[in-house]
Amino acid sequence: MTTIEVNGLRKRFGSSAALDGMTFVVRPGHVTGFVGPNGAGKSTTLRMIVGLDRPDAGTATIGGRRYAELPCPMRHAGALLDPHALHPARSGRDHLRWLARSQDLPDTRVDAVLALAGLTAAGRRTAGGYSLGMRQRLGVAAALLGDPPVLLLDEPFNGLDPAGIVWMRGLLRDLAADGRSVLVSSHLMSELQDMAGHVVVAGHGRVVADAGVDELIGAYTSLEAAYLELTAGVGGIR
Amino acid sequence: MIWRAEWLKFRTVRGWMFGAAAAVLIVVALGVLAATSVTMSCMDGTHEVDCPAPPTDSAGRSVADKFTFVHRALDGDGSITARVGGLDGTITYPPPDHDEIVRGVVPWAKAGLMVKDGTEPGADYAAVMVTGSHGVRMQSGFTRDRAAVPGREAWLRLTRQGDEITGDVSADGAAWQRIETVRLDGLPATVQIGLFVTSPNGMTVEENPQGGHAVAARWTQATAQFSQVSPAGGWTESLVGYSDYRTTWEQAHPPGHTETGGVITVAGAGEIGIDSENGLAVERVLTGVFAGLLPLIVVAVLCGTAEFRHRMIRTTLAAMPRPVRVSVAKAGVVGVVSLLAGLVAVAVTLPVASRMLRANAVVVLAVSWPTMLRIALGTALLLSLAGVLAYGVGALLRRAVPAVVAVTALLLAPPILAVTSVLPPDVGTWLLRLTPGAAFAIQQSVAAYPQLSRPQTVADGYFPLPPWAGLAVLALWALAAVAAATWRLRRSPA
Amino acid sequence: MRAAWRAEWAKLLTGRAAPAVPLGLAVLLTAGGVALGRDSVDPVQLRLLGVRLGQAAVAAAGVQLLAGEYGSGLIRTSLLAVPRRLDLLAAKAALLTAFVAPAAGLAVGVAVIGLPPGGALARAAVASVVYLILVGLLGLGVAAVVRNSATAVGIVLALLYLMPMVLRMLPDPDWQRVLYRLTPATAVQALTTSTAGPVALPLSPAAALGVVAAWAAGALALGAFVLHRRDA
Repeated sequence: MTTIEVNGLRKRFGSSAALDGMTFVVRPGHVTGFVGPNGAGKSTTLRMIVGLDRPDAGTATIGGRRYAELPCPMRHAGALLDPHALHPARSGRDHLRWLARSQDLPDTRVDAVLALAGLTAAGRRTAGGYSLGMRQRLGVAAALLGDPPVLLLDEPFNGLDPAGIVWMRGLLRDLAADGRSVLVSSHLMSELQDMAGHVVVAGHGRVVADAGVDELIGAYTSLEAAYLELTAGVGGIR
Repeated sequence: MIWRAEWLKFRTVRGWMFGAAAAVLIVVALGVLAATSVTMSCMDGTHEVDCPAPPTDSAGRSVADKFTFVHRALDGDGSITARVGGLDGTITYPPPDHDEIVRGVVPWAKAGLMVKDGTEPGADYAAVMVTGSHGVRMQSGFTRDRAAVPGREAWLRLTRQGDEITGDVSADGAAWQRIETVRLDGLPATVQIGLFVTSPNGMTVEENPQGGHAVAARWTQATAQFSQVSPAGGWTESLVGYSDYRTTWEQAHPPGHTETGGVITVAGAGEIGIDSENGLAVERVLTGVFAGLLPLIVVAVLCGTAEFRHRMIRTTLAAMPRPVRVSVAKAGVVGVVSLLAGLVAVAVTLPVASRMLRANAVVVLAVSWPTMLRIALGTALLLSLAGVLAYGVGALLRRAVPAVVAVTALLLAPPILAVTSVLPPDVGTWLLRLTPGAAFAIQQSVAAYPQLSRPQTVADGYFPLPPWAGLAVLALWALAAVAAATWRLRRSPA
Repeated sequence: MRAAWRAEWAKLLTGRAAPAVPLGLAVLLTAGGVALGRDSVDPVQLRLLGVRLGQAAVAAAGVQLLAGEYGSGLIRTSLLAVPRRLDLLAAKAALLTAFVAPAAGLAVGVAVIGLPPGGALARAAVASVVYLILVGLLGLGVAAVVRNSATAVGIVLALLYLMPMVLRMLPDPDWQRVLYRLTPATAVQALTTSTAGPVALPLSPAAALGVVAAWAAGALALGAFVLHRRDA
């Protein structure tokens, strides 16, 4: 069982502090929601977990190791951070194929995740023509390519049609039920309320609240109410 | 409205303003660097002196004007006739062995008749002459040159009538043939008329296997005999443009004239023409334009490609749904920004670098003020058109890297490769006629003249096209690039 | 590292062959030297003139290989797959070498076709191929430092073509002489000629290769440092 441990992350961009001691743990077995106002540091934290940004201080580890130290890292953690991080001239399937090469995975995995994401037909077209929803599906396919025990998803519901939202919700729940650690950042409280077992609320670059969803609903009646109450006066962008 | 929108777009991307400023800074910095790096010293006999500035003609251009003149005053209209022949002379240490002084005449040695506004170097003149191997010619104003008939001996006549000077040639002194009539504006009532002889340095050009050529120059002297001069008598001798220094040969055979039995023998050494050797060409301080163009090209290309890369063109066309006007406006903004950058760069570099050169006792070749204006404005226009070309190629290809490479290869590579003698001369010459690189001709301060004996090839910095024609080649390229980009924008907007 | 290399290959083969365009251009420009004939004191140098044009396209291919990923945002996915950034750079450098070498070999071979074979010709030809590879790596290194493709190409072109011209303006002639020998432009001149000897050439061919290798290595080292330090 693999956990994500974020410990005292700090980062300054120029004069503003993006992260100011962000600390939390994501445990397997349920979906962990990661919420907070725009600019609270959610995306930066996710980027640091997978080594795209360097923290000024603190550590982020997956199963006790930094992402960059993992051999074939996508078999240990899959991430959907930016659905547009692809080459527009390459087909969706080829995008997954070069990723599979980099992780020593067979092409059968590519076709498996394409089918899982519902892109079997669209996979032959160039990714430049994909809608946002299709790019999100391709990003999820890439994240699942290595069948990793840890998943990080930044705003996965963006651009999905209603059927896609239902599919995504079911998929994340099933992945968590398999015993994976799933961290989902989102602004859609109602989605998280149905799906997440645990919520980390960020504000001003650190954790404001870290509690079970049932616990929060018990105290505030709904996740949305809890969020608004907890982040009142806790700005994001400064 | 559309212009203001495009201008706002340009100036709000910090990197683009930075690139334009970098272009200016590079041109200025390299110009100053060039000005500090040049030193010049001349020998006056055996000791080193500051180089004297060459004389200037009535248009303000640096000229070479050195010859032996046997003359008298002419009031009002009049003429002189003489039989000129016996052209002979001395060449010091020519190839192949460079070990002896030989008898001989260099191709552009000149002997003949001249009308001149006084005896000061640089004063207006017109002359008919026989030459070492270019036949009989009439020359005037340091640049004008007209061939008449072949031969080293001839009867020559020079006639003044008002401001008009006419040259005639005859084989026998009886049947005369008109060469041409030239106007010397503002010629005073009294001028000097007489016989002259001069002989430029002998040049040999050695091809360097690593490209380019080495020029070796050697001192020469010419003598000529003038007989049956009419009207005769009343001669004064002036050594026009000579310094006090005499070569070893001249110490034994001084320049001047002797007269025996009605035959006047005149000896002289020097050159009459535009000077491009005894000073620094003013455009040298603008060499930084080559380097300054690179950031400008990058910025202009990015202006063309950025909209497509980020799909911003959709936003732009939604706000301003007329692709032709959008394209023209963007090209205009790039052109104006580059023009301003060019004007600032030139307006700072030329005066600052000239002052530093003067402080270093470096002689800068004088040019007429229209030429100076042409170089300054032309350089700014060159930057402007280069920006428009780069924008057009960027918007046409919609990819930054190929666009930067293409514009650099078309605009910068040909002159650099040709001038640094990497290319064979004829290849270089054609490239500088056809590619946008032809535009650098606008910076050339001294034109090539066939009547000068030094090599004036592309490798020596002489461009094959006249200045404005060269700039027009770039303008056509820029126009074609923007037109093609506009056409593509209309056909497939994004 | 092996997996990173295979991923880069897959990327290359599936990506509408983006580097093929500059590389094809490089082959055309370099091989075009064959049209220049042989009427020269040094026909080898004349034929290999194309190397000086083709190098711009090779450098562009090197730049494009990395800066293109920054342009499209693909770099973020690449770094998820290969988070050890030096591995990524090494894989790209190896890939670049693997496809520039045969292209340069072909182009240089065509350029010198029909010249009388000999040691000097072989040396100049091999040196030209190695030179082109090093120029590609220089482009890759600069792209890793500045990331923007147009800026990177501008910098590389300035290094390749404008340095001698700028150096000529330095005040101190001794420095000028020393620095002049350290430019890629001087090196390519020394590498593509068949005339030898310290009198005619400012650099020996071996020293010239050393100079270019130092430029490429310096750019790659700086690129590796920046890649390692900066956020993606």
